[in-house]
Amino acid sequence: MDDLQFRRRIYADPNTRDEDMIAAIKSDPAKQSFTQELEDLDSKIFKALNVEVPSDLSNKLILRQTLASHQQQKRKGRVRLALAASVAFAMGLTFNFMQFSTAYNTLGDYAIAHVAHEAGYFSNTSSAKVSLASLNDKMATFNGSFASDIGQLLFADYCRFDGMKSLHLVFQGETSTVTVFIVPHNDELEFSANFSSDKLIGKSQHFKNSNIIVVGDKNESLQQWQKMIDESVSWSI
Amino acid sequence: MSAQVSYNMATKQVRYEALVKALHSDLFRYAYWLCHDKHVAEDLVQETFLRAWRALDSLKDEKAAKSWLITILRRENARRFERKRFDMSEYEEAAITDTKSTSNEQEIENYWLREKIAQMPEEYREPLVLQIIGGFSGEEIAKQLDLNKNTVMTRLFRARNQLKEALENKDIVRGQYNG
Repeated sequence: MDDLQFRRRIYADPNTRDEDMIAAIKSDPAKQSFTQELEDLDSKIFKALNVEVPSDLSNKLILRQTLASHQQQKRKGRVRLALAASVAFAMGLTFNFMQFSTAYNTLGDYAIAHVAHEAGYFSNTSSAKVSLASLNDKMATFNGSFASDIGQLLFADYCRFDGMKSLHLVFQGETSTVTVFIVPHNDELEFSANFSSDKLIGKSQHFKNSNIIVVGDKNESLQQWQKMIDESVSWSI
Repeated sequence: MSAQVSYNMATKQVRYEALVKALHSDLFRYAYWLCHDKHVAEDLVQETFLRAWRALDSLKDEKAAKSWLITILRRENARRFERKRFDMSEYEEAAITDTKSTSNEQEIENYWLREKIAQMPEEYREPLVLQIIGGFSGEEIAKQLDLNKNTVMTRLFRARNQLKEALENKDIVRGQYNG
């Protein structure tokens, strides 16, 4: 190895030590001291390059990453939450739609279903009696009142008539109970003046704010009931 | 699945922290010699490690971690210039701050040498920093800087030559003063 080549290699990398280099260094004291010189230079350069590193840098790096990935997690969490909320919302809508959408097209259909559903709860021979005053208390909600008793009133309370707040009255009838609904006007259900099922018959009457529906068995003279209601009821507005 | 995810997250966290502890000093020094500003260097290192965290799964070989991080840092540094085109002025002597008091002769020499390194053309300085601080071989530096190995060796030769001559001349100048 000639001197120039040796210098080039030792300058480029003072730590280079292949067989050629080792042999060259061993054989020549001048090369040996030159190598030493460059190793000294390198240690000086190393010291100069070793600028002080901020002491808290590694903690900062870890902290920043923790914060960043926390943010990311939060963002992911938010997306998941939003998804879950959307699904829940859609399910709620569907549920609501199924729950409150009318499965019945007319007042009559619904009234018959309602009465049939509650048939077991009321007995025609029940001795219960609701006074005219307490009936009129409830009628006040519908801006109406009855002037006199139109029959033996067994039960009077608010109920949901296809989602609408309405008044549900049960009277003693000829052979079974007669049900009277006072239902606010509603566009959802079509008005049906007369309706019937295999056991029940019914009639609806249109009043100013509400419809009054009478449902009874086939022995009942609903016309008579309608007439009595018509004569007794009055509307304040 | 969630347990698996959090387990992976925990391993990733451990890997990341090990990487930070082992390599942040070298990376900071390398960044410093790229930009000559402690604050910018710190920002660069922060950005680098943040990117490293996001891409940590792509680092398969831990031995390659240092050169992987340096590649990210070089890219970050280039990006900085795209953002602020030559907003950073060329090297100014005042910008090189001396962090330790120049109490003894060795410190003075250290400080002086630091300035000389800073004034060196970037193409000489960068391979030198990679070799001495990064501990990379000629081939590795060539790959990192996208140069051929001979070019790298020549630049290393010139870099040391410049510094050696500068140091020798300094002694001559000082000798004249003293004499």
